[in-house]
Amino acid sequence: MTPAKGGYAVDVPVMNVSQKARQEHATVWSTFRAFAVTLRRLFTSLFKGDTPTIYYPEQTRPYSERFRGTHILTVRDDGSLKCVACYMCATICPAECIYIQAGEHPNPEIEKFPTRFDIDMMRCIYCGFCVDACPEEAIIMSREHHQCAYNRDETIYGIEKLMARPGIDAKGPGYRPNRPMAEAKIFDKETQKACPIPSVIDERHPAVLYESMIRKRD
Amino acid sequence: MPKLTIDGQAYEAERGKTVIQIADEVGIDIPRYCYHPDIGIEGSCRMCMVEVKGAPKLMPACATPIAEGMEIRTKTERVHEAVRYAMEFLLLHHPIDCPVCDQSGECWLQDYYMAHAGHDSRFPLGQKTRRRKAFDLGPLVKLDQERCILCTRCVRFTRNVTKTNEVQVFNRGHRSEIGIFEDRPLNNPYSGNVVDICPVGALTSSDFRFQVRVWFLKGTPSVCAGCSTGCNLRIDHSARAVGGGTPGYTATDGKIYRTIGRRNVDVNKSWLCDEGRLSFHTLEHWPRLRSAMTGGETRAVVELLPGIHEHFDSIRKAYGNSAIAALVSATNTIEALFLTKKYFDGRVDFRLGKEVELYEQRQDDLLRRLDKHPNTRGALDLGLANELNGLSGLLRRAERKEIRGMWISFHPQLVGQDAPEILEQLRQLIAALEFSVVSTTHDFGWARAASVLLPMASWAEEKGTYTNYAGRLQITNRAVMPPGDAWPLHALMAELLNLSGVQVSHDPDVIFDWISREVPLYAGVDYDAIGFSGAALAQPAEPVPEVVR
Repeated sequence: MTPAKGGYAVDVPVMNVSQKARQEHATVWSTFRAFAVTLRRLFTSLFKGDTPTIYYPEQTRPYSERFRGTHILTVRDDGSLKCVACYMCATICPAECIYIQAGEHPNPEIEKFPTRFDIDMMRCIYCGFCVDACPEEAIIMSREHHQCAYNRDETIYGIEKLMARPGIDAKGPGYRPNRPMAEAKIFDKETQKACPIPSVIDERHPAVLYESMIRKRD
Repeated sequence: MPKLTIDGQAYEAERGKTVIQIADEVGIDIPRYCYHPDIGIEGSCRMCMVEVKGAPKLMPACATPIAEGMEIRTKTERVHEAVRYAMEFLLLHHPIDCPVCDQSGECWLQDYYMAHAGHDSRFPLGQKTRRRKAFDLGPLVKLDQERCILCTRCVRFTRNVTKTNEVQVFNRGHRSEIGIFEDRPLNNPYSGNVVDICPVGALTSSDFRFQVRVWFLKGTPSVCAGCSTGCNLRIDHSARAVGGGTPGYTATDGKIYRTIGRRNVDVNKSWLCDEGRLSFHTLEHWPRLRSAMTGGETRAVVELLPGIHEHFDSIRKAYGNSAIAALVSATNTIEALFLTKKYFDGRVDFRLGKEVELYEQRQDDLLRRLDKHPNTRGALDLGLANELNGLSGLLRRAERKEIRGMWISFHPQLVGQDAPEILEQLRQLIAALEFSVVSTTHDFGWARAASVLLPMASWAEEKGTYTNYAGRLQITNRAVMPPGDAWPLHALMAELLNLSGVQVSHDPDVIFDWISREVPLYAGVDYDAIGFSGAALAQPAEPVPEVVR
């Protein structure tokens, strides 16, 4: 392999900046040339609609597929939670922000499932260790990174909020080492309406709670 | 005394013992599953193979008696290979469900796999034999047949220790499985021990199941406070804060998750009764008293103690020394009893009911005793069974106004219920007194009538010593912090003694040094001498009669 020009891996045009600066002369004409650039941009923005501005937050730049945003708990085909409450994520978590309570699953093949799975998003450092530690690809990350809340209680995400929330649908999944996922799915409100084994006994199914996630200020 | 060599080192050992027993004594590690020192020898797991010079094949160390001039090698390539093949055989149909298995983290399969095996299974996961999972053997034990390695420790426990024979091996050959007869669940009073001795995740405790992963736990060696036997146990409690800063998450006070029998051949071997094993749950039955109360308002303990001392002092000056007394509990530590005796000048009694008659009597053949207090013998040794005549005697004196001020320290029984007549008598006693200080662990309704109500640390929240029925002095350790403003009784008494001009440390270790200087029975004993396994005291308080049942 021959070394690329300029020492770059790909062919990058090399420009001698000081040479170029010496060639430019500050004259009256250069002032008008600058005005011409401004005017050209004005007309292309106005009539061609070619604007470089991103209307954040309605528009965002595309994020990487490996973006480590707010977590997602994945589900099985029937819509029940994939997590088996093994505490691997809580063990590896350097910020100690994951709290799990395990319960006895009615199916002895699954045996264990979380009755409570909370992540304190204010403590989380988004390192993604929990995703790496998970033996079931039950926890992955999304490309959503906004933490907007009216009070601190709302920043502790429970099972329902980790499973399904508007941000997941808007931004899509982020860091997941096993891409595309082999067994796990992201909860989909339309197709996974029926859940034979409830992920949370004595509580409503997460799909019902979907609307109630955005709380209004009193 | 035969002489033998293990791994090139010469030892002299007692005749009749097996190779693995000698190796355990001298600290040579031989892997094993089926061998347990307290339940008899089986020799079924083939993990403890050792090379003996002159023998053509490897010998199982657990079933080979020692002989004169034996040369044993435990670390050779042949031994290592045998252990590796035994491990592969045991793990052939193992479901590898470590993430949901409660044993994970303290599993002998995991430990020995990492140390000796490290192979890949020849069976793919989907082709392994499926068996019954998570079904109840009894109220306290769940069985998972897939994880079982058929070491038959549980079978031998019910055969040789409890002699109830509930657990058996059914079928033969590769169909063998552990099970129970349909109509006979594993419900003997010692059933929880099979979970402790199971080296793998086959038997798990229904009580502890899925509560917490074991690597989050910290073990504190302590002594059971359920009865006068004083079984040695290990308290497993939360060691660090788990989770973020939400109320109920951060375990600052600590929480006890389980207790496990700690081997002490002189007291309980490796066993615990189920009542004692679950006795820490009794502390959660009632709401805990978290702060001191007087006249319906909440105060800090340290603010109230000078007032209490002044009250007792004024009663003492007005009516003489005999007008104040204390009623302690046989669940208080020796340090607390001694300091109470010092402060109240010997006018202290501990008898609520029939502790003194019952404390040596057996409830069954194995461990349990009828007196449900851990320190009755210690209180007797300090001479607290005196002319005050217990709770009923103190009540009579209080009603005749011979006693006007009293300190009442009350611990609920950790096993069983406190007799309702005792609670009724305590209520009457408080009503009859002019000035009463009640230090108790929980917020009991009858105690609210007291002049001053002080929160007290319970078992597992204070350090101290208990003397069991046979006169064995043992240390109970602090595993978790007392809730709120609760103090141990020895600290409350030390503070009162400080107010009366006697300088006393709050440290139970230092208090015990004072006891050993003053009480001849404890002469020459200190915490270092007691250690983890306790110290037998020189002479018993009374001759111990042999009472069965």
